Amino acid sequence: MPIDLETFKPAYEKWVEESMPDFQAGKMAEIVKRYPFVMPDDIPWTPYTGNASEQTFALITSGGLYLKDSQPAFDTVSIHGDPSIREIPKSVRQEQIGIAHAQYDHSLAEQDINIIFPIHRLIELEQEGVIGKLIDTHYSYSYVNDVVPLVTETVPQMISRIKADGVDAALLVPV
Amino acid sequence: MLEEEGIPTISMGNEPDRMARIKPPRALVVKFARGSMFGEPGNVGRQRRILLDALDALRTMSEPGEIRKLPYQWKRPDPD
Repeated sequence: MPIDLETFKPAYEKWVEESMPDFQAGKMAEIVKRYPFVMPDDIPWTPYTGNASEQTFALITSGGLYLKDSQPAFDTVSIHGDPSIREIPKSVRQEQIGIAHAQYDHSLAEQDINIIFPIHRLIELEQEGVIGKLIDTHYSYSYVNDVVPLVTETVPQMISRIKADGVDAALLVPV
Repeated sequence: MLEEEGIPTISMGNEPDRMARIKPPRALVVKFARGSMFGEPGNVGRQRRILLDALDALRTMSEPGEIRKLPYQWKRPDPD
């Protein structure tokens, strides 16, 4: 576990209590300054080996993407954020994507999703043989402050699906 | 968590201060505004270039926590 949850939980509860007035006032820079980042001293690391042209890739963003016609939007109101995740198919078209994330201006991504989720460019690289395979299902989460359900439930589920798809490496695009 | 499960990652970033706290295993830093990690909408060549840079970073970065700055620039226009 990259995050020490026993250290994080009380620090987070204190942060929620102290940050609620600023959150309600929209003072996001202030609450970020106080946020209890609890990260390990050692950075987790898996060596990368092999040749991209023979490997399988996944794309993951925190941009708040969802499929407008078939998936619920993310919660953009709660101070806790939304710990759930959306599966975005490789075949997705620009007009199918909605963005639910209150903490950044996504007007440009609504014009061209590839600036935060470069799925169409990755498909081109797959067609050219630069990468071996792009899996059929990719992932988006959104604004999350309460990382407990994220790291205990949502992300492990995503990782098990990614491993089942035989992914060799993942590209992560935060916003 | 992906790295702990045996899947190497390359992360994009645009805020060095924030990245110092999150400590991604491998990262590329761009000079683009939030929400535009691959530059301006419609610039297919630039999006592709940054993806190729990401593949190169995967192949060549050998130390946990390495961060490489990319030179590309584009200033997001002011909203109307």
